[in-house]
Amino acid sequence: MLERMVVFTNNPMVRDALSQRDGCKVHYAPVSYRQILCLARDAVHQGHKLLTHPLSGSVKPGETPYKSVAVSQEKGLLDLPSLSLIENSIVTCDKFPIRSKSKDPSLQEDFQLVDLSLIMSIF
Amino acid sequence: MKLELGYIHIHDIQLAAASKVENGVLYVDAEAVKKLVLEDEQIASVEVEVAHPGESVRITPVKDVIEPRVKVEGPGGMFPGVISKVDTVGSGKTHVLKGAAVVTTGKIVGFQEGIIDMSGVGAQYTPFSKTNNLVLVVQPVEGLKQHDHEHAVRMAGLKTAVYLGELARSLTPDETETFETLPLKESMDKYPELPRVGYVQMLQSQGLLHDTYVYGVDAKRIIPTVIYPTEVMDGAIISGNCVSACDKNPTYVHQNNPIVHDLFAQHGKTINFAAMVITNENVYLADKERSSNWSSKLCEFLGLDAVIISEEGFGNPDTDLIMNCRKITEKGIKTVIVTDEYAGRDGSSQSLADAHSSADALVTGGNANQVITLPKMDKVIGTEDYVGIIAGGWDQNKHEDGTIDVEIQAITGATSEVGFNYLSAR
Repeated sequence: MLERMVVFTNNPMVRDALSQRDGCKVHYAPVSYRQILCLARDAVHQGHKLLTHPLSGSVKPGETPYKSVAVSQEKGLLDLPSLSLIENSIVTCDKFPIRSKSKDPSLQEDFQLVDLSLIMSIF
Repeated sequence: MKLELGYIHIHDIQLAAASKVENGVLYVDAEAVKKLVLEDEQIASVEVEVAHPGESVRITPVKDVIEPRVKVEGPGGMFPGVISKVDTVGSGKTHVLKGAAVVTTGKIVGFQEGIIDMSGVGAQYTPFSKTNNLVLVVQPVEGLKQHDHEHAVRMAGLKTAVYLGELARSLTPDETETFETLPLKESMDKYPELPRVGYVQMLQSQGLLHDTYVYGVDAKRIIPTVIYPTEVMDGAIISGNCVSACDKNPTYVHQNNPIVHDLFAQHGKTINFAAMVITNENVYLADKERSSNWSSKLCEFLGLDAVIISEEGFGNPDTDLIMNCRKITEKGIKTVIVTDEYAGRDGSSQSLADAHSSADALVTGGNANQVITLPKMDKVIGTEDYVGIIAGGWDQNKHEDGTIDVEIQAITGATSEVGFNYLSAR
């Protein structure tokens, strides 16, 4: 059973697909891939648990600009496994250089669609 | 369960008026293949090309590679649950056109997918530079959505492989090899003195272009289960993924998994290759907990002494890999993990996105960030338009002289996490 979740995303396709979904709150921010990870990290520090893997998908950070990460709506004590996973993910993200092709207008829809498919795979 | 593979050695593919196999040459009626592929109304056109080892040919973007096989004895047919009925496969006899492969190419999304160079430096990094390849360049009807497009190309490859495999049905194999896995009790009784070794194979299961199918079931919807390795040789597992092509298993690699073959080679000598377990690599963290709980529980239940765990991918699956390793180790079972690395171009960064002290025995398929320069090829099957934007390519990586710099991440099978590749520390 899925927990009630907050999805941090910079992907308008995810925002539109999940905004009306039961049990889902969408926190949309038109920021970078890394900044989405940082928003999820901040939520973990506030006591939310990570629900999805921050490095989902094989299109690497720097190649795709889009990222969606789900955390629990419920807050508790700091969840150390979540903290470790999101911090490691940010460190891993920083290893990958940003490619300018990630900003290529002709690719944005496909990048968004793959990111949408990754987050929709949990339902 | 016992399966005999009969290999018919193929050293050439030629397009011809009629499809047949003669003296090691696979003759292919391209019109018949086109007709078969175009039965799918979602496909607008298909070109049929041939690429031989040593030619100045680049195939890109590659979606899947499939080995033509046919069941000649025993239940079921190739690719059960997808092309054939869902009968349990893996027993009897199967004929293989060894040395031939079907390669699918075509733009599904505007990035990723792989490169196969048939000669030059790049050819040293992909196992599919050594096969004679029948390449399908598939164009969808206008407006076809990406999920449907992926499905159409996947099916085109599988159907063509089955069509070619049928040509081997009545042939006499050049060579045969037999593989047998006994039921649990018989296996324990037969080799009481040998360590019981299992294989846990992790399957990509994240979404569009990141999926795998088991008897036609999306692997993200399975819980870990036991499968006879010979079922996989008969096409029970097929690929629906190709993003970051270096460490994804095309269907061909499932059919010919080297870990399975190496374990069988030692079976009854130094080990008892007792069981194979398949599990997934989902995005939802609770799924990872559930699946690793199940894989470790199955390994314990099967009475295994040691387990090899292979990963498929990087990042998200690293978490599954470490969970599997840790939980199986906690059952008192020795583990070896097989992975690849994203260790930066100089190889000095941390290789995996996760770690645990139980992961103390590791085999690597290589560093996907390694950069090589591919020479210009005389012919490109597919298109090079995406080489700068596929995973492992980057901006301005194509030079005036036609050479291309890529990370080996872009090359199909370069850092295979089941060892179906050429990189080695030797």
